[in-house]
Amino acid sequence: MKDNLESLLKEYLQRDAQSTTRRHFIKNCAQGVGGLALSSIFMGCDPLVSPKKKTTMTFSERDLNPLATLAPPFSPKVKSVIYLHMAGAPSQLEMFDHKPELLKLDGQDCPQSLLEGKKFAFIKGTPKLLGPQAKFKQEGESGNWVSNFMPHFKKVVDDVAFLKAVHTDQFNHGPAQLFMHTGSARLGRPSIGAWATYGLGSENQNLPGFVVLTSGGNTPDAGKSVWGSGFLPSVYQGVQCRSKGDPVLYLEDPEGVSRNLKKNTIEAINTINKAEYAKYADPEILARINQYEMAYRMQIAVPEVMNINDEPETIKQMYGVEPGEESFANNCLLARKLVEDGVRFVQLFDWGWDTHGNIREGSIDLGLRNKCREIDRPITALILDLKQRGLLDETLIVWGGEFGRTPMQENRGNKKMAYKGRDHHGDAFTMWMAGGGIKKGASHGKTDDIGFSGIEGRVSVHDVHATILHLLGFDHEQFTYQFQGRPFRLTDVEGEVIKEILA
Amino acid sequence: MKKYVLIVGVRLLSVCLGILLIQSCESSERVDFSTQIKPILNNKCITCHGGIKKNAGFSLLFEEEAFADTESGKPAIIRGDASGSELIRRIKENDLELRMPYEKPKLSDAEIELLTRWIDQGAEWGEHWAYSLPDKVEPPVFSQEASFTSISSKKFVQNSIDNFVAARLESEQLTPNAPAEKNTIARRVALDLTGLPPNSKIFNAFVSGDLSYENLIDSLLSDQSYGEKWASWWLDMARYSDTKGYEKDQGRSIYEYRDWVIKALNRDMPYDQFTVEQLAGDLLPEPSVDQLIATAFHRNTMNNDEGGTDDEEYRVASVIDRVNTTFEVWQSTTMGCVQCHSHPYDPFKHKEYYNLMAFFDNTRDEDMPSEAPVLKFYSPEQQQTVDRINAWVAQYGSKKTTKQYQDFLLYNEPVYNSHHLKDIQNGSYDDHASTVLWDEGTARFENVSSERATALYLKYNAGISGTTITFRKNSSQGEILGQTRINKTKGSIIRKIPFQKVDEKFDLYIETNNDGVAKEVNIINLYWVALLDELPGKEKYGYASINNSLLQVLNSHTPTVPIMIENPDHMKRTTQVFERGSWLTKTDTVLPNTPKTLNAWNDDWPKNRLGLSQWIVSKNNPLTARTLVNRVWHQIFGRGLVATIEDIGSQSEPPSHPALLDWMALRLMNEHNWSIKSLIKEIVMSGTYRQSSENNPELYQKDPNNELYARGPRIRLSAEQIRDQALAVSGLLSSKMYGHGVMPPQPEGIWQTVYSNAKWIESKGEDRYRRAVYTYMKRTSPYPSFMSFDGGSREVCSIRRTVTNTPLQALVTLNDPVYLEASHELAKAMQVSENPEENISLGYEKATYTKITPVKLEALRELYENSLEEFKNENTNEPFFHLEKKPSAELAALTIVANAIMNLDEFLTKA
Repeated sequence: MKDNLESLLKEYLQRDAQSTTRRHFIKNCAQGVGGLALSSIFMGCDPLVSPKKKTTMTFSERDLNPLATLAPPFSPKVKSVIYLHMAGAPSQLEMFDHKPELLKLDGQDCPQSLLEGKKFAFIKGTPKLLGPQAKFKQEGESGNWVSNFMPHFKKVVDDVAFLKAVHTDQFNHGPAQLFMHTGSARLGRPSIGAWATYGLGSENQNLPGFVVLTSGGNTPDAGKSVWGSGFLPSVYQGVQCRSKGDPVLYLEDPEGVSRNLKKNTIEAINTINKAEYAKYADPEILARINQYEMAYRMQIAVPEVMNINDEPETIKQMYGVEPGEESFANNCLLARKLVEDGVRFVQLFDWGWDTHGNIREGSIDLGLRNKCREIDRPITALILDLKQRGLLDETLIVWGGEFGRTPMQENRGNKKMAYKGRDHHGDAFTMWMAGGGIKKGASHGKTDDIGFSGIEGRVSVHDVHATILHLLGFDHEQFTYQFQGRPFRLTDVEGEVIKEILA
Repeated sequence: MKKYVLIVGVRLLSVCLGILLIQSCESSERVDFSTQIKPILNNKCITCHGGIKKNAGFSLLFEEEAFADTESGKPAIIRGDASGSELIRRIKENDLELRMPYEKPKLSDAEIELLTRWIDQGAEWGEHWAYSLPDKVEPPVFSQEASFTSISSKKFVQNSIDNFVAARLESEQLTPNAPAEKNTIARRVALDLTGLPPNSKIFNAFVSGDLSYENLIDSLLSDQSYGEKWASWWLDMARYSDTKGYEKDQGRSIYEYRDWVIKALNRDMPYDQFTVEQLAGDLLPEPSVDQLIATAFHRNTMNNDEGGTDDEEYRVASVIDRVNTTFEVWQSTTMGCVQCHSHPYDPFKHKEYYNLMAFFDNTRDEDMPSEAPVLKFYSPEQQQTVDRINAWVAQYGSKKTTKQYQDFLLYNEPVYNSHHLKDIQNGSYDDHASTVLWDEGTARFENVSSERATALYLKYNAGISGTTITFRKNSSQGEILGQTRINKTKGSIIRKIPFQKVDEKFDLYIETNNDGVAKEVNIINLYWVALLDELPGKEKYGYASINNSLLQVLNSHTPTVPIMIENPDHMKRTTQVFERGSWLTKTDTVLPNTPKTLNAWNDDWPKNRLGLSQWIVSKNNPLTARTLVNRVWHQIFGRGLVATIEDIGSQSEPPSHPALLDWMALRLMNEHNWSIKSLIKEIVMSGTYRQSSENNPELYQKDPNNELYARGPRIRLSAEQIRDQALAVSGLLSSKMYGHGVMPPQPEGIWQTVYSNAKWIESKGEDRYRRAVYTYMKRTSPYPSFMSFDGGSREVCSIRRTVTNTPLQALVTLNDPVYLEASHELAKAMQVSENPEENISLGYEKATYTKITPVKLEALRELYENSLEEFKNENTNEPFFHLEKKPSAELAALTIVANAIMNLDEFLTKA
């Protein structure tokens, strides 16, 4: 496998220019994809009907199509979001937060002053400090620090803005993931992707507006609620697209049913539903007609977008994909394809970052290094690929975990553990963002000498949410949903936009 | 003298008349606080001057605050003097820096006028209607005026509900629809009452006129499927699930509770009793097993087994969930926000939240992986032994001892769980389950009250023999209270050892020693200890055998269900206010109490959950009956009389028919004696319900949400109904009731929970075709097709499922093998004639209970013919619909038609 991502990219661009790309995908319209006889009076697909004419109906387009595109109240910096969540919580101290002082203190008892009044998930008594297990270098023009666990990432370090002092008050996976994605550690709130889809709809009516891709063998600890719709209508919840079996549940036609037969079936259903509408004048019937058409189109559009086999070899190599497998690299390439096709919010969860040191895979030196290897290349490729397609400016990439890890070595059960590991830690950890509206090469926030707490530029989970919403064109304080007699918002009663990382 | 009085009198009179005249010119009508003023305050002022923020020391949430001195030292409202009131001055202010609402548009002239008039009239504070008792109202009697003639001519009025509805229709100049056709109403009412389409026998009897509408309803209400249908509604609120939730989301055996709900609904247990048993069945005198099972309502809270989580944090989370759920379910009130501060809009104070929490803060459950306390279900033989032990204890022991043993045998409580151990040396708390001790291990339970116990029960697990465990009073130097030798066990066991009586509170100090092992070797996992009286009758014949039996049944593994059990007095927790809702920052100690705004407490009630449940079902509670009526109405009409069914309070939408809501609420309590079946029957007997749901664009424009009821309800079926109906019309549905959750087919790879080896093992035989209410419910990964049709994940209380309309739903009913199998079965039943049109018509009628129209027949016939042609040209070995053997081309084509029928809007909708 070629290791130079930039040369692969160049190679791809040359070939791409030679052959006309088969980017025939029609984003919003049914024509061309099966061509249903009843084709969409609703979607504005009929070129003879101007968008204004279709508003002669008395109900809004949203009633017919809850994913109809809406403009945000303010001018947005990005159209789509790709959120990369490393489930289990990656160690900032081995990746981005360079702490030479911690190396000097390696093996010494953690000062009591740091432990007073603190609660940890597993650390008992007085733990010892654990020096960084990776080597750091300043990279790019920004001179931001990147560890040798992420060798490719230095190529894009000038594209990202680091948040070095993010904090959360949750230090167990489930609640912390919920907090990171719904703004509340308790269940029942909509996820950020659901908010975005509710507020903006989808640019592509043949694909779900909010797609979730998982890797690492497990779904996130907090379950499907991290992409749930909470009290928002369930149409805004994330749709998990799977690498094995149907990419979307029940997408495939039953055995023995041809496309033609499915088309006939949907036409018969919709003819009868139209007759029903004449009798009952219930707009829900029109909505259902529309949904059946959309389902038919999704059956083609989803497998097409989920198929990475037909991507050029150079692109596949650049990401390091493994077709047919469930992998983070595949998901990164899919994420690009999805935002390219107008999907609003793409959420990647990669499981396996919980490096306590109780097993080899969960060790901070060996296990973490392998996990970094799994993401380093694909993430770098994703940023480069979006950039060369001119999509990085209209996409926001967010990277992070649900919390960080302790500068102390874990001592579960008050014993020395089999491998080197770090416990959960919410006081300070690193996240980064890249893409439209983001100040390239910025680094905001600073932790103390051992990386225990933020000492400058601390930002909360609510601040991160406020910033994402801001880039999508929302004032997080005004973007509300009325429920149980009061307006709810993603950021509850907190959150400030992190201006320091905005361009 | 008399003359003088007279003159004064006349003058006074003329002055009065003058005032009256002036007032009538200037709209002298008395302003109503509740309907005219409170909405303005809530919408325009209370965000900054309410429960959360009290800017400038001014709040409009409570009467005493609204008229109190603000930070300026003066009150903002001076009764009777609008022009002297700061509030009026500030809303009229031209300087934008001073004008209120700050940085918001100016209030309208009408709003300013209303507020001014209200203050001038004395600024009388009122109570929101939701917090006053329902008004005693009579159904409106209407004249035989013009518009009513048409209403009466349509036989609209069937019972008193219709009088209320007709009065509103008349005022809006609308005429109701004609009654729905018999076949339509039969399908509608069967789906509403039983969740299933009517069976053919009952349907034919009704359509032919052999069965009256009322008899149809009575027979549907007495069908067992009624309880299964309405249980789904209740279980959403009860957040019933077959797993514990959170990260590990392990299985939970609580289906006995689901079955209890079905049975209680089928028996038509009065709602007051239904409430009391679920909230406090354990506190009733000598509770029955059923009453204990009912308390599992509040054990449906999630249980967090994730490594490194603090059990106390999640115990508190469960208690908070119980407060919130109780108020959401019974009072249509969101208490959640009062956890951190006074309610932003409704008159509930921050502290009152913790008064309520104090009712729930004293149950034995402590977020243990075992879900203790659990009620044990003994086999008949085991039960005989248990009875024998209880009889023995009753014969030789005191009443106190008898009660102790009865309870301990039923649910192993009260115990001191090992997560309470302090100062653990040479050992550690082994994350959730037990405390691990090594050689020279020590630890202690603080502040133990033994109630003069003479026996210590302990549950432990030991991998090594030869350990001595010693229990001392207070410290390593203290008196030995009990001691025993621990040998290797197979799994965990419960043992009993003699224990020295202690009169006062003490620390139970524990030591473990084993000379034969190295350091840091686990010699015992200790789960809990319990301090009880010794089994009495030691000197009596048969003691040894009883003693043996006792330990045998204590160690027996039986089916269980988690239940609520109250702490004994000596183990009671004190409840404190959490500052800003954080359980780590506790302030004032509080006692159980109910919010002042609602009905008064009756001193005859005990200050515990039982009293609280009595307070809820008291006829003086303004919200309980209204809430139930509103939610049942919503189930049937798809919209509540108060549209915000989650919330009846100062922010809720005004009721569409306030008098009807109150009339039905009072009738439910006083005439129906809380019978849910009677309430439902009254609604479905009404002419309002029985109308056709046909509609036209004008009527739709005038009343898009059918708030006025000029037409009958038309609503998409629920996730459960969609499955059950498909199985019912295809003849696959099993009528088996109760028991473990079942696992009908779902796609591979749906369950991917971390740290769990739980598997979806597809059910066999009739369990594949059980009603949806019996489908295994896993919180982190609910049954996918239910999720598509808006079913929830049951993690928290859910009052409403927002009905959506999505392409993913189409994919379920078009492609899910469950629906394919159903369409194939339906197709087989359709194959009765050589004439495909007859077959198609029959299938359509079986599914929709309606005769097919020519247009629809034509569409389906065309589909049939196209399919037939395609199948005839195909290789017959090609697989079809996951069937083992490919059916004939004709049957395959009919299957396609049946699949289309099962995807029709009219099939998926109750009309």
